[in-house]
Amino acid sequence: MNRSSLIGGAIVIASLSLAGIGRADTMSYADAVTALAKDCGADIKKVCKGLNLGNNQIQDCLQKNQAKVSPTCTSTLGQVSASIQQRQAAQTGFFKICAHDAAQYCGGVKGEGNILACLLKSKRVDNGKCNQAITDAGWR
Amino acid sequence: MFVTFARDWRWDFCSPPATSRLSSSAISSLSQISKAAPVIDPALLTQEANANVGKGVAGQPNWSQLANLSQLLVEIDFENDSIAIEPKSYRTVGLIADALHHPNLMFYKFLVVGHTSSTGDAKHNLKLSQQRADAITEALATTFAIPRNRLSSVGVGQEMPVDPGNPKAADNRRVQLINLGRIK
Repeated sequence: MNRSSLIGGAIVIASLSLAGIGRADTMSYADAVTALAKDCGADIKKVCKGLNLGNNQIQDCLQKNQAKVSPTCTSTLGQVSASIQQRQAAQTGFFKICAHDAAQYCGGVKGEGNILACLLKSKRVDNGKCNQAITDAGWR
Repeated sequence: MFVTFARDWRWDFCSPPATSRLSSSAISSLSQISKAAPVIDPALLTQEANANVGKGVAGQPNWSQLANLSQLLVEIDFENDSIAIEPKSYRTVGLIADALHHPNLMFYKFLVVGHTSSTGDAKHNLKLSQQRADAITEALATTFAIPRNRLSSVGVGQEMPVDPGNPKAADNRRVQLINLGRIK
C-alpha cells in the first residue's frame, strides 16, 4: 500500500467516525455556536471585526482568511457548520419520519407540540426510526 | 450571560445552565398564549417610536400592549457602536433558535425588540437599536433557518427603559423576544 492510499484511508476513517459521532448525537444550535465563539472568538475579533453571524458573513470571512486563523478555529468551523445542517435536516425530517407513528399512537392529538409530547410518552415508539428522529432533532 | 424569562418581567439570573433546561424554560415562557392576547402590528410600533424620540413610549397605545404577550428578555452584546454581535453572545442567539424550532413554537411569529440605555444621542440610539434588532433577525433567518415570515424586528432606542429611575444603567440595554401569535 502506498503512502497516499494510507493517508486517504486515514481521512476516510476520520470522516466516518466524525459522521458517526454526529449521527448519534446532533448538537443544539446554542452548543454549536458556543463552540464557534470559544474556538474562533479571538480570530473573529481580529479578522472579521464588524461582521455578523447572519448571511454566512462570519463563515465566509474565516474561510477567506484561513491563513490568519488558528487551525483549531478552522476545524471547529467545519464541525459547527456540519452540525447546524445536520440538526436542521433532522428537524425538517421529523414530521415525515414520525407521520406513521403519530397516526398510529397519537391519532386524536392536535398541535405539533402535543403530538411530540404524545410520541415521547408512547413506549411503542422507543426503538424505531421516529425515536431516533426525535433524538436527532434535539426534542427530548 | 444572564437571561430573564418573563411574562411578568421578573428577573431570574442563571449561571450557565444545561442547554436543554434553558431551552425548555425559553419554550415554556414563550408558549403561554392567552386567548385575549392583543394583535400587534410592528409597523405601528415603529411609527410610535419615531414620533416620540426623547419622550418615551411606555404610554403609547401599541407599546403599552406588549407587556400582555408571552416574552423572553435576553442580553445580547454588540461591538461598540456596531451591529456586530459579540461572539460571547452567539450562545444566546443559538438558544433563541433552539426554542423557535421546537414544535411548540414552530408555527408562531416573533418580534425582536432592541433597547438601549440613555447613554448617547436619543435619535442615534433609536437607529442603532433598530439595526441591531434587524441583525438578530437576520442571523435567525439565515444561519439558523427560521422562516422570515415568522420574524419581525423593531428598535425603540432608550424610550422604554426597564429601569426608568436609572435610564443610563446597563440593564436597560436588552432584547425582547415577543410571541405575536400563530401564523395564519
